Amino acid sequence: MLPRDLLAPFRIIRYSAANAWADMWVMFTPASWTFGYLSRLLTQVIFFALIGVLLDSPDLVRFLFIGNAVVFMAFEAFISVATTTWERRQGTLPLLVAAPLPLWPVFVGRSVQWLPTGLLSSSVALFVLGPFFGVTWRLPQALAVIAALAVIGVSMYCMALVFGALVLAAMEMRNMVYNVATTVMMMICGVMVPLTFWPDWVGAVANAVPLTHGLAAIRALAESSAVAPVAGEVVANLLVALGIGAIWMIAAAVLLERLAGIGRRSGSIEFAA
Amino acid sequence: MNALAAGFTFEARLLRRSFDEMMVLVTAPLMTLILLSITEHAGRTDLAPYAVLAPALIALWTIALFTSGEIIERERQNGSLEPLVATPVAIGSVITGQILAVTLLSLVGFAESWLAAWAAFGIVVPIVHPTAFTAALVATAFAMAGTASVMSSVFVLSRSVRAYQNSLSYPFFVLGGVMVPVALLPGWIEPLSRAVFLSWSADLLRDSLTPEPVSNLVPRLGVILALGTAGFLIGLVLLRRAVDRLRRTGTIGVA
Repeated sequence: MLPRDLLAPFRIIRYSAANAWADMWVMFTPASWTFGYLSRLLTQVIFFALIGVLLDSPDLVRFLFIGNAVVFMAFEAFISVATTTWERRQGTLPLLVAAPLPLWPVFVGRSVQWLPTGLLSSSVALFVLGPFFGVTWRLPQALAVIAALAVIGVSMYCMALVFGALVLAAMEMRNMVYNVATTVMMMICGVMVPLTFWPDWVGAVANAVPLTHGLAAIRALAESSAVAPVAGEVVANLLVALGIGAIWMIAAAVLLERLAGIGRRSGSIEFAA
Repeated sequence: MNALAAGFTFEARLLRRSFDEMMVLVTAPLMTLILLSITEHAGRTDLAPYAVLAPALIALWTIALFTSGEIIERERQNGSLEPLVATPVAIGSVITGQILAVTLLSLVGFAESWLAAWAAFGIVVPIVHPTAFTAALVATAFAMAGTASVMSSVFVLSRSVRAYQNSLSYPFFVLGGVMVPVALLPGWIEPLSRAVFLSWSADLLRDSLTPEPVSNLVPRLGVILALGTAGFLIGLVLLRRAVDRLRRTGTIGVA
């Protein structure tokens, strides 16, 4: 009995992830994802990297290119802010709240489709588009970058779940929250300019975002000719990103369970929004 | 003319209650801060006009793409396309009025961008040639409305094109030289860029913010207006074709 209870969240996450993956292929065909979605992301990276050309600085071209290619991993993880609300919109939330199991694992699995797509988007940008902007990688570096992207994706997904839990209570805000949060991330997390450009208090906020640390790890890899000399710095940054992600995950689980509790007591979770 | 005014008034009232439709006006000031942070960090204060202008043009295009582009589709989803088609006024006039209202409101992005630069960085970008700037802005709004009328009809005519609606933003910001002038892009891109009114608009608006005299103002305005007029004409032809097809096949409500 006990092992089954302990394994229940993992079972729920697996079912919910299967649901998420099915959603993905309803939204996109391989052609529309590649030519409609990925192509837009790649031109967004080009748009910002070209500003380095305007500034007549190859170093800034590289800086802007890497920042904007990596940020897509975070953006895609953050799409879960909007997709978290789908359970409420589809009227399935009351049934989930009524079920005799915790609610949070459902949402942990509910939007995982954005993790592999984010990893693919950022990887295509970094490895396929990169050489055109003076960004090249050796195989060990590339593998380390993929691992760092995965860490960014997972930790940012945990952070996004908190925002997702908050917009579950205010669904009309979901697009606004996504757009403002991702734009602020672009601004303060070292994507466009180093953190030191901003006042200290902005830097403090940026340090609570796992992307900041994951991106620092990838920049360290990009600046080094091999992985070994920067391995310590990279691992330290990725561990910090994971640690912050874990804190966001706990906050998300608490918020979601609290939302379920309030909904049960007040009867405020409707069958359709 | 009455139909145009009715479409304009209707859309203006609708937009007052459709916050999501104008989402980009919330992020436009943030985009200004992003672009200004890049130019300021690089010590290129001379590029502040580029960083302030670009988010405004991005807001203009994005709203046209996602709000004006959706007007006919929204009428269809509301079930109001059938009575609109059945009324004796030209549907093109009503839709054009609606698009003009959206375009006019999206110009708020210009004010936001200038204000954000001043509020966050204390940067005031002077409009050195106000006549050229105003003329370029009016021509740009006209061309944007013309381009939006093409989008609106194409999205109704083809579901498959609509699936790619999202992808029509950044490629056009690059082609249109919204932040980085077309002259700095590879030469083979220029012919493509010059077919996009944004490239003419961005160059002319930037020139009106710099101390040097604006060269060839009238011909450049003429090109923007010509591209806008071409957009309106193509949009009207496509709209007529779309409505004819919907009438003929009897699929107005369900297509």
